Amino acid sequence: MFTDIKSATIEVWEHRELLEQLTRRDIKLRYKQAAMGFAWAVFMPCLIVLSGLIIRFAMAQISGQTLARVDIANIAIKGVGWAFFVGALGFATASLVGNSNLVTKIYFPREVLPLSSVGAQGFDTSIGLLTLCIILPLLGVRLHPSLAWVPLLLVLLVLFTTGVSLFLSCANLFFRDIKYIVQVVLMFGIFFTPIFFEPAMLGPRGAYIAMLNPLTGILEGLRLSVVEGHNLFYPMSVVVKGVERVAWEPWELVYSGVCAVVAVLGAALMFRRLQHLFAEYV
Amino acid sequence: MSDVAIQMESVWKKFQRGERHDSLRDLVPSIARRILHGARPAGELGVDDFWALSDVSFTVQKGDALGIIGHNGAGKSTLLKILTKLLRPTLGSYVTHGRVGALIEVTAGFHPDLTGRENIYLNGSIIGMKRADIERRFDAIVDFSGIGDFIDTPVKRYSSGMNARLGFSIAAHLEPEILIIDEVLSVGDYTFQGKCIRWMQDLLQNGTTVIFVSHNMDAVLSLCSSAILLDHGAVVSQGELTKVVGDYYKRGGRWSPNLLPESSARTVAFSASQGSDVVVEPGERLTFTHTITASSDCELTPGFWVSRGDKPVVDTTYARMRGHPLRLRTGETASIDWSMAFNLPAGVYEIGHHIGNSAGGYHEHSSRACIVTVGDDPRVKGEAYVALELLEGAVERPALHVLPSDAGVLR
Repeated sequence: MFTDIKSATIEVWEHRELLEQLTRRDIKLRYKQAAMGFAWAVFMPCLIVLSGLIIRFAMAQISGQTLARVDIANIAIKGVGWAFFVGALGFATASLVGNSNLVTKIYFPREVLPLSSVGAQGFDTSIGLLTLCIILPLLGVRLHPSLAWVPLLLVLLVLFTTGVSLFLSCANLFFRDIKYIVQVVLMFGIFFTPIFFEPAMLGPRGAYIAMLNPLTGILEGLRLSVVEGHNLFYPMSVVVKGVERVAWEPWELVYSGVCAVVAVLGAALMFRRLQHLFAEYV
Repeated sequence: MSDVAIQMESVWKKFQRGERHDSLRDLVPSIARRILHGARPAGELGVDDFWALSDVSFTVQKGDALGIIGHNGAGKSTLLKILTKLLRPTLGSYVTHGRVGALIEVTAGFHPDLTGRENIYLNGSIIGMKRADIERRFDAIVDFSGIGDFIDTPVKRYSSGMNARLGFSIAAHLEPEILIIDEVLSVGDYTFQGKCIRWMQDLLQNGTTVIFVSHNMDAVLSLCSSAILLDHGAVVSQGELTKVVGDYYKRGGRWSPNLLPESSARTVAFSASQGSDVVVEPGERLTFTHTITASSDCELTPGFWVSRGDKPVVDTTYARMRGHPLRLRTGETASIDWSMAFNLPAGVYEIGHHIGNSAGGYHEHSSRACIVTVGDDPRVKGEAYVALELLEGAVERPALHVLPSDAGVLR
């Protein structure tokens, strides 16, 4: 088991220049002959933030509250993270089948194809993150020591996304219906992941159920450490309608971390074990 | 380190006819079947299974060139896919010593929207070149391809020939220790093909191991040192190049020359007075100079033949026209001028030559040395004739003209 993962790591490392070339190709192709150019990179997160704001506005209307500036910041940071996850998965799922001419003709570690999709999406997301760095201070977000958590959370997000990408690209090669399932799941996944809302809004039991989604810990962690300036080492609770409710538990981060590592290792192992069949089945 | 470059031991590969299940709906019944009947052992064939390769074994020494020949569907491509790690054998094993490079579908890694320059970097890294290597060989690649100023044009605007030439040039600069070539010599025009052949000969001289798959027996005979013949996935003939090529022709139902295992004479040059690709009027006369050198004392019957499609039109030999064979001693060189008036119907003719012995064996047999196109001229009708002339015989000296009337042999 570990020899498989070791050989995958070694081979991908040896082909890092190929990974770079393919990532560049994917990035170039996104912007070649595209009228919007790099605006595409912020278009998707903007749309997510906008739809989130409409929902929050509706919720505020019903409960008779006003929409705070900090709510925009909350949705924006989680929206960028979600856009990365969705974008990477969308491209990665089709990466092996879409490059079937390469898969059936030339040998190289096939992991580089979904990885380059994640990489190209990472480029888009970094443009989104840079945009956030400009916008967030305007929304009243200040620098906190808790920002030190951000790199770790981003690494976990990338690991989890990579694992799911490897799994889905491989599954889609064998079963073409995977890509339709992925489309539908990603379309509604935004409601099963606390992007537009915080877990605490779901009530005490609801919050714990929402935390079962590995993305919850990562995205909520990002929100709390950047916007609220909360040190993720300690639990946090908020008072809703006079009742104290849990907003953050440190074990959430541990749970998300374990999920990310298991996802990436498990998917890499499955990918490696099956890749000798790719040329025959694609 | 051993001198073996590739060793294949009893490799089998199973394929399935028809469609596999490729949606989840089909998966469930197939899993149910598997649970009920148990998984089939690797060595057994199911209803729709067949062996694409069965019990293939061979060894290639470092620096050797192995030809893999066989008719369509014989398993050549499957074998190459196993060698390039794209497929894994169902049974059996193989080892390769050295970096394997392949010239198969050289444009597979191209993306139409990227420029030639971008595609060189992309395709180069896909086939396993380091960026530093690509940068170092970049000018050589562009030069070899003859793409020139179009290097910054997206390849979707290239002609298919330019596309293929660029792909071949990138792959040609990979510099592997073991090179696998599948029918890529048909890339590009005549000049480019000549370039490719010279490049391959250079590779062989530099000690690269070559696996060459082709339907062009002349190319196999001139490049390879041994061959294997595949038929329905099994090796049916292997070893001596001339024997294997002979077996290939026999299986195809075509007449095949009986090539001698020890060749003592070979053609140094065969050239037409007006170049190797000529257009003539009916009745026009062309002279082909055939230069032969002997590596030991021998009696030879050099021959000259013209064919259209696969049908011979004219086939004659020195001995038939002169009444005696050509005697050469070790190291001697003879030059024969075959002069022919192309009194033939309009069409494309292939000119071939051979060197036989008096017992019906051949030291060498080659088709398509030149192509002659006869134009359409309804006024001219007549018989084909060949005139033989010996310019510089090492043994035979008197120049001789055979009269047209008794010289031609029409089949």
